[in-house]
Amino acid sequence: MRDWEAVVERRLKGLALGPAESAEVIAELAAHLAETCEELRRQGMTEEEAEQRSLAQVEDWQKLSRLIQSARTKENVMTNRVKQFWLPSLLTLFLSMSLLMLVQFFGPNPWVIARKSAWSLIAPVAVIYLPWLFSLPLIGAMGAYLSNRAGGSRRAMLSSIVFPVLPYFAFFLVALPVTAIFNDRLGHSIMFLALFVGLLAWVVAPAAALLTGGALVQLFLSRRLDARRIASS
Amino acid sequence: MIGPGIKRGTAELAVLSVLEDGPLHGYELARRIEQQTKGALRFTLAALYPMLYRMEQRGWIRGSWETSQQGRRRRCYRLTAAGKTKLSPLRKEWSELFSALRRLTKVSHA
Repeated sequence: MRDWEAVVERRLKGLALGPAESAEVIAELAAHLAETCEELRRQGMTEEEAEQRSLAQVEDWQKLSRLIQSARTKENVMTNRVKQFWLPSLLTLFLSMSLLMLVQFFGPNPWVIARKSAWSLIAPVAVIYLPWLFSLPLIGAMGAYLSNRAGGSRRAMLSSIVFPVLPYFAFFLVALPVTAIFNDRLGHSIMFLALFVGLLAWVVAPAAALLTGGALVQLFLSRRLDARRIASS
Repeated sequence: MIGPGIKRGTAELAVLSVLEDGPLHGYELARRIEQQTKGALRFTLAALYPMLYRMEQRGWIRGSWETSQQGRRRRCYRLTAAGKTKLSPLRKEWSELFSALRRLTKVSHA
């Protein structure tokens, strides 16, 4: 029995859609060809004749590839971009910000205590920061799932996962150095350390947490897609 | 035999009308249209899927993967609420056009 998915994949090579979307199109067209071929076999054709007649449905695969691409993207570039990038991105941003606020309002209240050790300085921040940080993988997973479901490319998915840390990143990149230059009340000597710690705590660590959740979802979805491909071949 | 220009125009109406009876996957949809029009409308794979994807983008139909009793995975298309809304004016337009053509051809024959 012919591997129709391999046949379609080879002939639709120029199809510039996201990997998940391309795999869906290939699987669907392959299923159609397989059914056409089976029907022709039932009508008494030899396997070779049936395969040739099935493939003859498409005169120009390049043209079909262009038509499919245009049908799936051209009419609704904005909608696709919104579904694949902006919607998951803004949702992850909204959820992460809301969660931080909720932890501040309803979470454990940090006590201001006399400084006896480095821990006593970190602890009040940590009771707000850590619950938020540990919830970020879930938010990253949600962003990855939504972007993938809308047929987003790997790049769109990655961008929507790390989107919540971009405002912090922009702040540390722009606002903090600007403040350091124009505000003479701030000691310039401590700014580099503050910048480094801030970047680590509010950009690197949250991005890593978001990406952990997103990567797990991506792994799960790609395995499920592989399983589907095996099942349909 | 109906010409290609008319076929293009009626293709969307045909797909929406057939899907009104229930969800179908691409191959079955093409077969059903061919049977119901006695071969006057015939969709090849190359003609069918770009149109289905375009209609899906417009929100008239929605495709979802389903597994048949034989364990084969196929993408089934369903008519959406927007598709149902689109179908009735489309039917009216084509009905008016065919009535007009019938009247015209009667006049021509007279």
